[in-house]
Amino acid sequence: MLPSPDRRLLTVAGAPARLLVVGVVARIVLASVPANAQAVPPAGHEDAAFDVMNLLSHEGLHDIHDESWNAYGQFTLITSYKPPFHAPHTNFNGSVNSLVPDAETSFTGTFTLFFGLRLWQGGEAYFVPEVIGERPLSQLHGIGGAIQNFELQKQGTETPQLYRSRTYLRQTIGLGGERVEKASDPMQLATVVDARRLVLTAGNFTILDVFDRNSVTWDPRQTFLNMAFMTYASWDFPSDARGYSWGGTAELYWDDWALRVGRITPPQDPNSLPVDFEIWEHYGDQVEVEHDHVLLGQPGAVRLLGYRNRVVTGRFDDAIAAFQADPGKNAAACTTYNFYNYGSGNSTAPDLCYVRRPNVKVGVGINLEQHFTDDVGVFFRAMYSDGLTEVDAYNPADRSVSLGAVAKGSAWRRPFDVTGLGFGMSWISDVHARYLAMGGVDGFVGDGYLHQAPEGVVDAFYSVNLLTALWLTADYELLWNPGFNADRGPVNLLGGRVHAEF
Amino acid sequence: MPSSSRGRRARVLVAVLSASAMSSRARAQQQPQQPQGFAVERFYSSAPGGGWFVMDDLTMRGDLGGAMALTAGYARNPLRVTDGSSNLAVVSDQAFTDFGFAVARDRWRLYLNIDMPIVIKGHGGTVGDYRLTAPSVALGSNPDTLSDARIGADVRVLGDAASPFRLGAGAQLIVPNGNPSHVDYDTDGTYRAMARVLFAGDMGMLTYAGHVGVHVRPLDDSPAPGSPEGSELLFGVAAGPRLALDASNVAVVGPEVYGETAFRSFLSSGSAGLEALLTARVEGTRDDGPQLRVKVGAGGGISPHFGAPEWRAVVGLEVFDYATHHDNVGNRSAP
Repeated sequence: MLPSPDRRLLTVAGAPARLLVVGVVARIVLASVPANAQAVPPAGHEDAAFDVMNLLSHEGLHDIHDESWNAYGQFTLITSYKPPFHAPHTNFNGSVNSLVPDAETSFTGTFTLFFGLRLWQGGEAYFVPEVIGERPLSQLHGIGGAIQNFELQKQGTETPQLYRSRTYLRQTIGLGGERVEKASDPMQLATVVDARRLVLTAGNFTILDVFDRNSVTWDPRQTFLNMAFMTYASWDFPSDARGYSWGGTAELYWDDWALRVGRITPPQDPNSLPVDFEIWEHYGDQVEVEHDHVLLGQPGAVRLLGYRNRVVTGRFDDAIAAFQADPGKNAAACTTYNFYNYGSGNSTAPDLCYVRRPNVKVGVGINLEQHFTDDVGVFFRAMYSDGLTEVDAYNPADRSVSLGAVAKGSAWRRPFDVTGLGFGMSWISDVHARYLAMGGVDGFVGDGYLHQAPEGVVDAFYSVNLLTALWLTADYELLWNPGFNADRGPVNLLGGRVHAEF
Repeated sequence: MPSSSRGRRARVLVAVLSASAMSSRARAQQQPQQPQGFAVERFYSSAPGGGWFVMDDLTMRGDLGGAMALTAGYARNPLRVTDGSSNLAVVSDQAFTDFGFAVARDRWRLYLNIDMPIVIKGHGGTVGDYRLTAPSVALGSNPDTLSDARIGADVRVLGDAASPFRLGAGAQLIVPNGNPSHVDYDTDGTYRAMARVLFAGDMGMLTYAGHVGVHVRPLDDSPAPGSPEGSELLFGVAAGPRLALDASNVAVVGPEVYGETAFRSFLSSGSAGLEALLTARVEGTRDDGPQLRVKVGAGGGISPHFGAPEWRAVVGLEVFDYATHHDNVGNRSAP
């Protein structure tokens, strides 16, 4: 089975306690190294992972089936190279959001520690500090729903930064039914829970920790590099510039069914780090229904997700109308008026800076997964958002589809190797396209002109497992119509990844 | 051109340049200077599992165990500066949480402390020759900020976990994080280190702990008011009765007094801070599983300078686990 969250085996044998202590020391020392990522939910470790908790358990020092605490960590380094590509106009007429056609390199490095603590029966607390350093392509401009590296954060810096990614409480209330084992994993204390239960989460986390889980694409740090496969590309879930939010969720599990609802905080300004805590005025609401099934003896799941944001953003038609009524309300003049803006110098284009106010954005999506063997699974996601307002927190796609397959290497006797092939496509709404065609920019795209087309990506990767908890990945991405502009690209992207778990 | 004429012109040029330079210097002297900013926090919480808020009870023991701790607090006016005629609370309100994680085995302990500022705010203004900028940290604008992290190691070199006198040593490396411009008073922006001699003991109902050490602090921004003046001496002591509540829980009530002074102006009022907290805690005493410790403390600056606040309130929650014996499948038993 691809993900194996509930089946851990204790296979690390014979490690003396001294090794353990040395390992812990090394991890603590490494935790101090200052390093920057888009919010990524961690996955369950490999069954044979070399990690602290497995070692402790093997030495008889920790009950890995009924935990009062746990601690895990991960390190991921991703590099990307973009060779030169064809583009007739770049940053046309003073716009600033084009993907630069010259050769570029990009990287992210993340180092994360996951701490979990049981507080009382069913009560758990989690704390996750993370270090990240990054250099995006073209300052993270010019790509819509298919940013080549899912770890990239807005406003990230090459200088590593330590920050708190998650601090939250979780309360599980049993409601009966069969007993289900939850294995020890990052942000999951090992325990046994009811198949019918209510799970309440409150604090600071990413909504992807709770919603839109997919056991085929599972942890992006193990699978596709491209952001189009991390979640719905057009799900504009409110979050700060790093991808995290404050708020609360409730999950009701009832045998094969699950119902999730949640309300989370948006950023104060679109795509910025400061958080708007007026959660009764400005918020993102999500609801998801999941049904798990067995088809031809293999598990699968269907999830339907709907969201409704009420956040301070600009409507494209408002921006166009404001500009047409008064050409002085152009993109270049935003700076003059000291409005929050994206820095465009285009004095002939409309801009969203003049029209930001509380607006509603809605979308619906479907997420399918199906395993065909223990080692091969396929996935499909599709979402339709209204596309009337600018991107507030995720990316500028208004509609998206992604699908693909992921396989482990048992067939060629490399059971911990992982390979996958994915295809993603995203679109923008007509009014969004009209705004970009007039030279407008949003948080990520806007070449100063537009020959509208869907943005597409194919992502293929192979991860070689080394030393049970270390993976080296080679990745190729082909991106066409970057920034939804048919005149630009295609773009070849070569990627590499080193990922370690402990 | 005759040489005498060239010499005269040269002398005039030198005089003009000198006058210009003196004038610039005078203008510069009139301009208020901007201090660098630094880590105002003087509440260096003890290692997770350390018992007291600042002191350490040196009770590490048993097989591999450890502790997780969450401490939260508020300090009022931790940084006030004065030139004799005017006063300014540069940092007037400081709220923080601190997360700590420790692993311990036998008499050794390794730990990580991460400080999360929630609020740091105050007042900007000019004091003497210095223009001070108000810090501005709030959860909304800085939703995920972490300031300096501390990585440390402690060892008990004399006595066992329940001896009347225990002697130990500890070292910490403070890794800079936070606003790199230092204007938020959450970091010095440099690596720092601490080396301390620790002592503690239990004599009947009395339990006590203390430390003396050196804080290696590269930042010396004197004579900027309130600023660090390089490396410092650390000192502190705590004591109180240990009262049994029931078979598996005790309460400890007692004061903790701690402070620091810069070596370069040893114990002078402007570069020494002394603070006292009255603390109380309730903790489990069993060795057969994780134990809970709940702590509260309140107090203030006896000598409210150099980072010691007018008053401070702190709370702490700690889970610690010093399992003393295990069988090979993880079952534990007390000795």
